[in-house]
Amino acid sequence: MKLGTVIGRVTLSKTVPALVGGRFLIVSPFGREQYERGLDAPISFGKDFTPVVYDALGGGVCQVIGYVEGREAAQPFPEPTPVDAINAALVDEIFYSPWKG
Amino acid sequence: MLLARVEGNVVATRKHPSLDGRRLVICQPIGASGEAEGSPQVAIDAHGAGMHQQVVISSDGAAARKAVGDEKSPVRWLVAAVVDEHEPGVRV
Repeated sequence: MKLGTVIGRVTLSKTVPALVGGRFLIVSPFGREQYERGLDAPISFGKDFTPVVYDALGGGVCQVIGYVEGREAAQPFPEPTPVDAINAALVDEIFYSPWKG
Repeated sequence: MLLARVEGNVVATRKHPSLDGRRLVICQPIGASGEAEGSPQVAIDAHGAGMHQQVVISSDGAAARKAVGDEKSPVRWLVAAVVDEHEPGVRV
């Protein structure tokens, strides 16, 4: 799972049936710097590319979410589904203390 | 599998049901000499890895699903082991 800030949404008109009812979030992945700044810092963008994440939990713009990439993203679906990233958690708090030594 | 250092944890109330009661730790992948490499990953932790402890994390989704006991879970990364020594006799 990676953390990222929701920076937008995608609306689809026509999808494969398995994806109907879900939402799609545009997510800016956290780099090391964003972990250090925490949840209250203004939104900043990392270096990584920006995935579109399937969401059934109800993540909103500006929220921080934990999303899973890869084959495992399709695992919650009852049938094989073309999905690369899924929202697995809405993050409430981060405790982060980088190693300085 | 990646060598990583535990640098924190994440609290989430609203999450996939399979993650209920699981510890989510922030793992920073590191190189052989301990320097950070790439972005941190959040992994489920069944071993109780401590802050700044070195661990091995695995991206084996099948093993992670078995660990949480839910075949419908999207989990991917788990703490597979806690590192004691990089080479015999030299504790980290």
